[in-house]
Amino acid sequence: MDRETGVLALAVVTILAVLAAIYPILPANGENFSELGILGPGQKIAGYPTTVAVGQQFTLYVYVGNHEGGAGYYQVLVKEGNQATVVSNSTSADLPPVLTSSLVLQDNSSSIYPVNLSMRTAGLNQRLIFELWMFNSTTTSFAYTGLFAQIWLNVTAS
Amino acid sequence: MRAALLIVLFAVMLVVGSQGVSAASPATFNGAASAVQNAFVAVQAAGRDGGNISSLVVKLNDALALVQKASAENATAPSQALVDLQSATSLAQGVQSSAATVAQQGTSARQLQLELSVTAAAVIVGIAVAFYVYGDRIYRRLWLRMYRGQVVKKVG
Repeated sequence: MDRETGVLALAVVTILAVLAAIYPILPANGENFSELGILGPGQKIAGYPTTVAVGQQFTLYVYVGNHEGGAGYYQVLVKEGNQATVVSNSTSADLPPVLTSSLVLQDNSSSIYPVNLSMRTAGLNQRLIFELWMFNSTTTSFAYTGLFAQIWLNVTAS
Repeated sequence: MRAALLIVLFAVMLVVGSQGVSAASPATFNGAASAVQNAFVAVQAAGRDGGNISSLVVKLNDALALVQKASAENATAPSQALVDLQSATSLAQGVQSSAATVAQQGTSARQLQLELSVTAAAVIVGIAVAFYVYGDRIYRRLWLRMYRGQVVKKVG
């Protein structure tokens, strides 16, 4: 190995070693996001009810994940809507929640928890809409994250 | 006559007692919710400072569970709902006061990590410079030490 190659190898090894040494103090760089999902009664993406009677109790599981780069205080609002209900990534459904659950998650953590639900209105193509809201420490209020999930149900009269 | 009087007195006490237990007011719920929010802001700040907020998050979720339980039972068991709301509020206040200590510990740990990293980087660069400046000399001395017993013979 000639001297130039040796110097080059020394420089590369030094740079790598310095990078490894300062890696713990480098600011984390990544996309921040939250997650929302609805799981069926078996805690899987399957087995969702399709037809229920008014007032009939059924259980679903809600999945919430936090990758926002810090602790997150979330609210999941469950709303009962229908085909005409407007909900999107920018607008939450203009309906009162039938169920509200709150949880705090550390960064890079998630939670799955059960919710017991029942429908109040009979009809075809009724919707159960799950919206994820997040607490904003600056405004000290909850804001819609733009994440929602829904299941469609045919609700029969009891 | 005396027994009848006692019965009436007991009935009056029952009525007064039952009127004394009223449902938790929205203000009580708002107070608990506000305590949880304040605690969360403190916990979030402690996390940003590098503190270990795992146990604080668990307690905050316990407080939230108590608020939700109180909300569910307020119509049927108002006195229990009040107790739960008070427990949730004191739990959240405890979390908020602990968060300051956790934040302080996080700041200290982060400062130590910074000092360790900078020192390690400086030592690595120092060793590399020394190797660059004295590397040849050290290599030759080692070579001589290793092969000092060798004799070079002329072949042929």
